Amino acid sequence: MTLFRIARKNIRKNFTNYFLYVASMIFSIVIYFTFVSLKYDEAITAATESSQKISSVFNAASVVLIIFVAIFIWYSNSFFTRKRKKEIGLYSLLGVRKKQIGRLLFYENFLMGIIALFIGVLLGSVLSKFFVTILMKVMGYDVIATFAISTNAIINTIIIFILIIAITSIYGYRLIFRFKLIDLFQADKEGEKEPKASFFIAVLALIFIGIGYWLALQNILESEAWRKIGIMVTPLVIILSVILGTYLLFNTLIVYLLKLTKKNKRRFWKGINIISTSQLLYRIKGNARTLTIISILSATTLTAVGASYSLYYNNKGNAELANPNSIMFIQQDEHLANKVNDKILQEEKHQIIYHKTIPTMQIRVDTSSLNNLMGESIQEYTFISTKTFNEMAGLQGRKDRLSLEGNHAAILDAGYYEGLSPEYVGSSLSLHVDSIAEDITFKKLLKYNVLNTKTANITVVIGDDLFSKLEKETALVNMEAYKITNENNAKEINEVIESILPDDASFSSFYNDYSLGMETSGLIIFIGAFLGLVFLAATGSIIYFKQLTEANSDKGRYNILHKIGVNKREVRKSIAKQVFFIFALPLFVGIAHSAVALTALSRLMQTNLLIPVFICIGIYMLIYVIYYFLTVRTYYKIVTK
Amino acid sequence: MKTILQAKNVQKVFGAKGNVYKALEDIDLEIKEGEFIGIMGPSGAGKSTLLNVLSTIDTPSAGDIIINGQQIIGMKEKQLADFRRNQLGFIFQDYNLLDTLTVKENILLPLALSKVPTSEIKKRVEKIARTFGINEILDKYPYHISGGQKQRTAASRAIITNPSLILADEPTGALDSKSATSLLESLSMLNEQNHSTIMMVTHDAYAASFCKRILFIKDGMIDVEIHKLQQTRQEFYQKILDVLASLGGGNI
Ligand SMILES: Nc1ncnc2c1ncn2[C@@H]1O[C@H](COP(=O)(O)OP(=O)(O)OP(=O)(O)O)[C@@H](O)[C@H]1O
Ligand SMILES: [Mg+2]
Repeated sequence: MTLFRIARKNIRKNFTNYFLYVASMIFSIVIYFTFVSLKYDEAITAATESSQKISSVFNAASVVLIIFVAIFIWYSNSFFTRKRKKEIGLYSLLGVRKKQIGRLLFYENFLMGIIALFIGVLLGSVLSKFFVTILMKVMGYDVIATFAISTNAIINTIIIFILIIAITSIYGYRLIFRFKLIDLFQADKEGEKEPKASFFIAVLALIFIGIGYWLALQNILESEAWRKIGIMVTPLVIILSVILGTYLLFNTLIVYLLKLTKKNKRRFWKGINIISTSQLLYRIKGNARTLTIISILSATTLTAVGASYSLYYNNKGNAELANPNSIMFIQQDEHLANKVNDKILQEEKHQIIYHKTIPTMQIRVDTSSLNNLMGESIQEYTFISTKTFNEMAGLQGRKDRLSLEGNHAAILDAGYYEGLSPEYVGSSLSLHVDSIAEDITFKKLLKYNVLNTKTANITVVIGDDLFSKLEKETALVNMEAYKITNENNAKEINEVIESILPDDASFSSFYNDYSLGMETSGLIIFIGAFLGLVFLAATGSIIYFKQLTEANSDKGRYNILHKIGVNKREVRKSIAKQVFFIFALPLFVGIAHSAVALTALSRLMQTNLLIPVFICIGIYMLIYVIYYFLTVRTYYKIVTK
Repeated sequence: MKTILQAKNVQKVFGAKGNVYKALEDIDLEIKEGEFIGIMGPSGAGKSTLLNVLSTIDTPSAGDIIINGQQIIGMKEKQLADFRRNQLGFIFQDYNLLDTLTVKENILLPLALSKVPTSEIKKRVEKIARTFGINEILDKYPYHISGGQKQRTAASRAIITNPSLILADEPTGALDSKSATSLLESLSMLNEQNHSTIMMVTHDAYAASFCKRILFIKDGMIDVEIHKLQQTRQEFYQKILDVLASLGGGNI
């Protein structure tokens, strides 16, 4: 068939074009297939018993991935067809019938899609094993993943991509019918007018971004604006206003600023500035949409990865906060407690750092006097004496020491949340123990506990005298607290103790919380990092492709410059400057957006995200810088060829 | 008189094995300071190629080229670029204007690249724009101006640095006779007053009559050479027509 021959010849002639397109399709397929394989991987499902939760997280993430992959393929496809419009126009001019051309495009695209699908699944099979191993590691397992290709994953991938390929192929088929011949020939031409920039719209860009930032940084619980707009609607308003502002920023504000720099002749008319600045100005408007997409993608990536990494990073701290003692339980039966003690002593992996039997009282109190916003008003608090507190605080390396007189008390609340938790300090609480009724007043709030939260709940420290007075009227409850070495690797001893103790012993351990946290946050960070890497690779590629097209259309310009005596070093400098601008702008904007989002998030979660977020941004920038140098190099090569 | 340019046995071969084409065949040429040389010849004779080779934009396949006492074969890339920027001025057959710059920016580009002070740049641009009558279009982009205006812009850019050698490839090709004359007169004036050395390729006998010496090229070789000497422009013009006729008709 002649049509087939023409198609084959085409592919050979426009190899780089086809290569880039197929490569980006393969990339998408590999990513998707790898991810779906993880979902069906037996080692992972077996290791994580809570498979229900895991699979729902995976499902949500794969939906995000499908959307993204579809957009990415669509983008590469339109990039690819745009470069070929002229060629298509030529066929039409030579008298090939439209229907034939359409069929040619359809087959061609479909064939490439099938080839990409095949290669993608093959590569993905190898990669998925690698990723399974990583995932198990971050979740705190040391399982060797077995190599097995999941048929489910293959079927899933094939269905999704055949659909995407079919849609793009149909789009290709219809392309020829949608354009007039003249359009096809002019497809490659650049925008010819000098970009306009209105001061008003430039300011509007800043206002939109400003509104978004301002809303995001409000205290959600108290903000008037949030209440007026609505708690559910405000985040949407923030996102829309920031995206719109970003677009206007690139579309107008940057143009405006560039024009301003042009006004300063002393700088503009100096060396290569005149070339790089006007080149940028000429392009920026056409690039506004891409730059906006890249900024938003970067911001999303950084925020998601930063937040999930923080979760992982803070896991140990959170487990420690909830479990200041490695092991703790309520002693109801001395015999069982001794048995536990023996088991811990027997275990060679762990040494006991301290072991305390803590006398406490469990008293039901009416917390309505505390303005409690959350939970039941009748709660059971644990009461300990000042002496006990000081002793435990000392053992746990805390600096605080208490001395409480009369009916003064201190409260230990490890789950304290500013704004939601009761305002303890200054409030009073009535205690009714048998015949005694005492009003205690909170003088101090400590945002940690010396007892494990799950065993002891919120703990109240009262003066030694008051403690002994109440002690006579109510039964003391003894709690056993251990600190052991190697506490984050205590699966075996944990299981042993759990089997000995009854449920109402309220057993709690650092290991339980820690490993659960590792499992969930490990999964979240894995998915976050996975998606983050994909987005990063995609954003990098989008800029890279875009710049290469521009390099091709710049060839002529640099040739002219060469003729009038611009040397290669100056050419390189001009390119580096121009490309730097295109890379740095969205990165900078993305970082700014994500910084605001993460600040808001860290306020909401009341944790400090600084270190993990800096690490993420650092890595992101590093990869970005590599892309930058790669682009400059290729650009330079194309232009000076 | 100082020798500005000397070319010895210059050859240029295009294409690779099996498919070679000799565009220049053994050209010997010497240009003295203050000369105004015309190059004529049929289409495809190798005129543009010669100009490109002499102007260091293209490298010859064989031979030596010495400009202003400097051997340019084997010069470093940066030296060549500086040399082009400071010593040479071009007016290209296809203008070679940057569409990202305004007319004004195109003209002042060589000065900006050489980091000439802003006030000096302004002065020179004004003067040249007046000479070529393009004051009105200074802030337009090449997209929006006519072919003739583009050519005048290109000419302005070529001479704004006061180069010691101006190379022009059919500078009047797209001009009406009035603007052609004004361009040729400005070139003449540069030649007379600044002693700029000019080398101009042209098909047009009228344009060629402004030169002082004319080389006729055919099949990559210098065929005939005529001098103006004491003749008036009218007489010289007549002589050019005679030579063209004797060389084989009006297919030039
Ligand atoms: N880059 C090239 N590769 C191969 N052949 C070339 C190249 N440039 C020019 N030629 C050939 O060299 C010959 C001389 O070309 P040149 O451009 O010098 O002609 P010209 O005398 O300037 O013609 P015109 O008056 O039409 O401008 C032509 O036959 C042309 O096809
Ligand atoms: Mg020519």
